[in-house]
Amino acid sequence: MSGLLEARHVDVRRAGGLVLHDLSASLDEGEALALVGPNAAGKSTLVRTLAGLLRPESGSVLLEGRDLGQWSRDALARVVALVGADEGSGLLTVRDRVALGRYPHRGPFRPFDARDRAAVDRALELTGAGHLAGRRLETLSAGERQLAALARGLAQEPRVLLLDEPGAHLDIGHQLQLFRVLDGVRACGVAVLAVVHDLQRAASWADRMALLAGGRIAALGKPADVLSSDACSRAFGVEIRAHGAGLPYPLYSFEEVPK
Amino acid sequence: MAVAVAVGSVPLPLGSSLSSLAAAVGLPLGRPMSPPLEAVLWTVRLPRVLLAALVGGGLAVVGAALQSVFRNPMADSGLLGVGSGAALGAVLAVRLGWSAHTFLALPAAAFVGAMVAILAIYVLAHAAGRPSLQGLLLTGIAVSAVGSAGTSLLLVATEEFRVKTVLFWLAGGLEGRSWPHVQVGAALILPGFALLVALARPLDLLSLGADEAASLGLPVHAARLAIFAVAALVAGAATAVAGSVPFVGLIAPHALRPLVGPMGRRLLPASFLAGALLVVIADLGSRTLSDRLDLPLGSLTALVGAPYFVLALRGSEGQS
Repeated sequence: MSGLLEARHVDVRRAGGLVLHDLSASLDEGEALALVGPNAAGKSTLVRTLAGLLRPESGSVLLEGRDLGQWSRDALARVVALVGADEGSGLLTVRDRVALGRYPHRGPFRPFDARDRAAVDRALELTGAGHLAGRRLETLSAGERQLAALARGLAQEPRVLLLDEPGAHLDIGHQLQLFRVLDGVRACGVAVLAVVHDLQRAASWADRMALLAGGRIAALGKPADVLSSDACSRAFGVEIRAHGAGLPYPLYSFEEVPK
Repeated sequence: MAVAVAVGSVPLPLGSSLSSLAAAVGLPLGRPMSPPLEAVLWTVRLPRVLLAALVGGGLAVVGAALQSVFRNPMADSGLLGVGSGAALGAVLAVRLGWSAHTFLALPAAAFVGAMVAILAIYVLAHAAGRPSLQGLLLTGIAVSAVGSAGTSLLLVATEEFRVKTVLFWLAGGLEGRSWPHVQVGAALILPGFALLVALARPLDLLSLGADEAASLGLPVHAARLAIFAVAALVAGAATAVAGSVPFVGLIAPHALRPLVGPMGRRLLPASFLAGALLVVIADLGSRTLSDRLDLPLGSLTALVGAPYFVLALRGSEGQS
């Protein structure tokens, strides 16, 4: 069975050299996949490649079974949304920011119609950012800005949502809120892939976890299995122990391995 | 604008200026002016005011567009090498004596100079693969420096009586401009303005950063190239007919962004209007503040604009 979005034997080269080596992975409808790995493992490169922003040197990325190279830009943006670091002007209102997510549906000239308005309203409602709609981004907290950026991605009405460190800089309350929103998105059949640094958070949220190390998938499977693997200890240089049998999901402790 | 038409070294009555303008579009209103005053209105005052509006609007809208592309409130047409390229073209035209033959030679040479500078920047930045914004910026600085060096060299080698022509042009101003200048300016600036407004949505996406714009389906490099090309035409035309008029492209969008927001569909038209008004007023000042001479328009916008800009930037830094 092939997934909704699938990487097959992908090599990606950046200025410094090969960043991803012969990487294969797939993402299914309605699935939550957490992408974890140490710094410089190639996580952002993988996400950008899956979003069609970087072209693999060899191998291919298939969306709905068709190579990304065969998708037109706007058709691709109607199916795959990427939410990364928020860099928009602070003077934008949240509603304008979210409405920019309708670009792949509108192009440069089609007016903003009832369908666009409905998509923007729905995105604001799903993220719980409706009450912020009229506010300018510069007046929001980091967590609220992240929700606005996520709402922009949802306004695209994608089938695949790619997130590059959505929880970075967020306090625990906003993190939980964000991942609850992602669960809601997933329940609508959207496949969600998120780069997550907090392994505990990743383990409690994701269906599957992919460990990226040195540009290769070092482990892939249920979060509990990935985190207990030798590959994971080696990749992060820490010892990982699971505690609390009987809890909904284990609690993990991490200890530095003496070199 | 009507006030700007009426005021000047030969004062025209405001009411009858309006009736004269109204009569021209077929509205018989009030008493017309005496023929000599009418001549001043139609051949001197009106083209000058219209040209001021075109130049100001053009520079402001280019500033607003480039600030979105570069995601930096300090960006304006100077980054594209327009000013230094145009200056070099103007000096060449004067040095070689072309400008003595026809009064449109200097603007034409300035325009060509601006276009050559922009092409040079683009080609040089492209030589190392797809140019990043940073690469374009640095190449722009380098090309501008070469242009300025060339201008200085030529100025030194130019006869004294001709140097003044160049200096006057470099200082920016609208004295002695007539209908052909307005026609040339309008033919490039107005369509350019319309094109930039048509590109408002791609501009909004570019202001989010290249990754987000590309992930929303925008062909980022093509969109940037289109915007640079149109911006260069508009700024080149404005600089060719008016010389260097600094700070308009920075101030108008900067003042308006907090009022109308950063979205192109509102910011670009608003910037055009504000820039037009700004230069009409500045030109009015340059004609009337001193009895003895026309103060250079460019010096005036710089003298007023620079302090405003420093204060505005300090204010915005205080907030963040």
